[in-house]
Amino acid sequence: MDLIRGTLDLLVLKALSWGPMHGLDVLRWLESTTHERLQVEEGALYPALHRMERKGWLAAEWGISDNNRKARFYRLTPAGRRQLAAEQSRWAHYTHAVQLILTAEGAS
Amino acid sequence: MTDRDDRLGRGARRAFRLPRSGRQVDAQVDEELEFHLAGRVEELMAQGRTREAAEAKVRERFGDVARWRREATSIDHGQARQERRADLVDTLRRETRQAVRSLFRTPGFSIVAALTLALGLGAATAIFAVLDGVVLRPLPYADADRLVWIDHKVPKVGVRDRWKLGMINYFDFRDNVPALRSLALVVESRMNLAMPGGDPVRVRGAVASASIFPTLGASSPSLGRLFTDADNAPGAEPVVVLGYEFWQRAYGGDQAVVDRTIDLEGQAVRVVGVSAPGVALPQSAVDVWLPLTMDPARAAQVNEHAYSGIGRLADGATVEQLQQQLDARERLFTELYPGVYSAGFMEGTGFAPAVEPLHEHVVGPAVTRTLWVMFGAVGLVLLVACAHLANLFLVRLEARRRETALRAALGASRGRLAWRSLTESLLLTLTAAVGGVVLAHLALRGLLALAPPSLPRLSDIHLGWIHVGFVVLLAVGIGVVLGLFPVLRGGVDLGALRDGARGMTSSRQRNAVRGALVVGQVALSLILLAAGGLMLRSAARLHAVSPGFDPERVLVLDVAMPQGTYQWRDYARVAAVHRTFMGELAQVPGVVSVGVVDEVPMGSADGWGCSGMGFEGTHVKEFVCVPKSTVSPSYFEAMRIPLVQGSAPTWDEVAGGSNGVVVSQALAEHFWPGQDPIGRGVLANTDKPPYFRVVGVAGDVRLDGLEKPPTEVVYFPMVPDSGLSMWGAARNASVMVRSSTDDATSILSAARRVMRGLDPTIVVDNPRWMDEVVAASLSRTTLAMLLLSLAAGMALLLSAVGIYGVIAYLVGQRRTEIGIRIALGAPAAKVGRDVVLGALKLAVAGVAIGLVGAVATMRVLQSLLYDVSPTDPLTLGGVAVLLLMLAALASWVPARRAARIPPMEALRE
Repeated sequence: MDLIRGTLDLLVLKALSWGPMHGLDVLRWLESTTHERLQVEEGALYPALHRMERKGWLAAEWGISDNNRKARFYRLTPAGRRQLAAEQSRWAHYTHAVQLILTAEGAS
Repeated sequence: MTDRDDRLGRGARRAFRLPRSGRQVDAQVDEELEFHLAGRVEELMAQGRTREAAEAKVRERFGDVARWRREATSIDHGQARQERRADLVDTLRRETRQAVRSLFRTPGFSIVAALTLALGLGAATAIFAVLDGVVLRPLPYADADRLVWIDHKVPKVGVRDRWKLGMINYFDFRDNVPALRSLALVVESRMNLAMPGGDPVRVRGAVASASIFPTLGASSPSLGRLFTDADNAPGAEPVVVLGYEFWQRAYGGDQAVVDRTIDLEGQAVRVVGVSAPGVALPQSAVDVWLPLTMDPARAAQVNEHAYSGIGRLADGATVEQLQQQLDARERLFTELYPGVYSAGFMEGTGFAPAVEPLHEHVVGPAVTRTLWVMFGAVGLVLLVACAHLANLFLVRLEARRRETALRAALGASRGRLAWRSLTESLLLTLTAAVGGVVLAHLALRGLLALAPPSLPRLSDIHLGWIHVGFVVLLAVGIGVVLGLFPVLRGGVDLGALRDGARGMTSSRQRNAVRGALVVGQVALSLILLAAGGLMLRSAARLHAVSPGFDPERVLVLDVAMPQGTYQWRDYARVAAVHRTFMGELAQVPGVVSVGVVDEVPMGSADGWGCSGMGFEGTHVKEFVCVPKSTVSPSYFEAMRIPLVQGSAPTWDEVAGGSNGVVVSQALAEHFWPGQDPIGRGVLANTDKPPYFRVVGVAGDVRLDGLEKPPTEVVYFPMVPDSGLSMWGAARNASVMVRSSTDDATSILSAARRVMRGLDPTIVVDNPRWMDEVVAASLSRTTLAMLLLSLAAGMALLLSAVGIYGVIAYLVGQRRTEIGIRIALGAPAAKVGRDVVLGALKLAVAGVAIGLVGAVATMRVLQSLLYDVSPTDPLTLGGVAVLLLMLAALASWVPARRAARIPPMEALRE
């Protein structure tokens, strides 16, 4: 299943809400969480990360990965946390509305 | 905000998310993507794939690497740029605040520096404004550079003499000289205008050809019409055009003035129009314009040169072309106009036309030269001020060497250091510029109050935006040089960080620069002092010269009789009015004696004119041009001019006509050397006897000004004997009232009361004290003297402060060395002497250079000096000694301080 446009940001924010991660870990977390049901063109992750960094939702820092390599770690800033909350509730409203439509019983 | 980043240095930049450079951004994105791809490949290989298969799979899942890389880096570049910009703004703001703070921390330095520069800038700007208004700016006419002044040279009469145009020149040139687009003749004349129900007023009149308005580029009237050629024709109805400003002032801008008849000089004249605003003659405003009566037939018969000629060049024509064409025309004059010009006249006078741009004629080379000299002088003052400022900055720089080195070591870039130093200097110089503008404004007001009335275009002098721009530009230029100086000069010396780097010899180079600045200051000051000194000496000589009369408490009043009622041959009537008037005025309390004269001594800026005369039995065959004066018998007594021989004719002798003249001693010695002048004959305005006879010799007077030699003058009686020729009655004359009071107003009103009883149409006005007239004749040199002395004083003060500052600083710097010397047994007196000698060495070098400069430049003052050589050894020697004494004095205080340095304390530091 391809990702619906505009949801990548939300998913990344959610992934990072568990703690600082580098890009690869973010993808791995998404894969394992969705049991590999979502397909993302992996490269698209990086412009998204950098864009959110520029917006101030994420902060980046160089650190050492589990296999002792230099990696760029991202973490949520307070602004990012607020953004996540807002996106989450917007998403909930949206899916709820879609759900209502899909479960409606004919026109009245 | 604090200086945190500076202390942290380069290593801490990343931790604090300091902006990355473009290259850093690219490298980081590459590294991040590399990590991702490598991690994925390893993952797949761990699942058992070959490297090739794994890499292919990873690449497929990642998508277009180049594209994602490009997108990520472009976002980061944008951010880095933004951060860098924010950081720069932040830094600049911080450095600016620091610069302001440091200026406030050392108020003494800041105030002295700003004040010094403000003085220099203010002086330069004020003089620039004068130079600009008078010399550089075109005259206030449309296409003013096309206007020319035309007159005649008469080298055989007088090398510098100029004769104006004759009527015949107008008619001939107008039709035959293609280089002239138009030509106008004009005569300026003061006139009496009768005001209904009030005293008559004196107005400034211009009697001109109709072409005057198009020539000046003002051919449209505000009201009614201007002149046509018909108005110039003989027998035309007398009409007048009012000057716009006069119309506003005297008639309140009343439109109904057109067609009204006014009484000018006792003649009824009809107003036909009002000129456009601002239309004036080059040297004078005009209240009323009158048409000149121009009769071609008469013009071809009369040799007279009474008219100022103003021409406008034809399109594309040059002054040289015009000159050639006029020369060519006048060569034909003896054939064309034999009734006017004889070959003998041309031969005898060397008569030839002369053209010059109108601006040159109005301003003149003497004024131009004086103003450039003054501009040069204030330029030198500004240079001295800049040298002083540079010195102050160097001292300050020295004190900051360690701070600067520390900041540089901790990563502050050269640009940041430059910004700080630039902000400081620019803040200072721009503050000085504001002060300079204020000072220039005040200086200009003072200058205009002092300026000689003979200075042309006074009303064109204003402090305008261009002058303010001039100050700001100068200030910015000086600020940039001063601010970048420390940065450019070798940059940062990290050695300053070493402990005790305040050593004894490390700053030899810097001291040399400072020494050179002091030498330069002293040299420039010497030049200015020499200029001021020469002017002062010249003024002293000039003031010691006696004018030949006693100007104290002599009130001058002008008396003007209207032309309509007093004809030019009415000698007896005019003299009778003067006699009665003076007789009654002499009875007024406070009046000691009264005399009348047709022209006030030293009263004319253009110099005294001369009149054609012949002298009996002299070696001079031809007519000569000699100054004349028509006087009342009491004139000599009122002016206290002694009669050294004989006596002046009395009123009773004069009233019926007299042939007795008085000559000045200088004239008698010139024409009748070693002989008795009494009884000798004088011809006036004719070459045929009968003669006037010399009856007295008067003491010498200087009618043209104190700087000129005694005038050779003939004093004529107010009424000539019948059969004797003269130049007309003294209708417009001046009464010299010697009084025992200082109250000019009461004398004036008494004189007016007396005159009203005699003839109410006669105007008495323009009261002025004779000593002021004498002072005004000196005012050009007085002003130059005042300004040069002021400039010299400022330079003197600045170089004294400069020498003191540098010597004091050097002593402070060498405290340790001096302490050691004293500890080793050097006598305190010798230490002090060494310091003074060090200062004197600088001063001597400066004085030597300055003397050479003064000898080379003082020649420009020649025309302003009276009886003093521009290289007067006394003046130059005097100012040299003065400067050396000043240097010794300025170094004396630091020298005493040096001698008292307690050795132990100095060593401990």
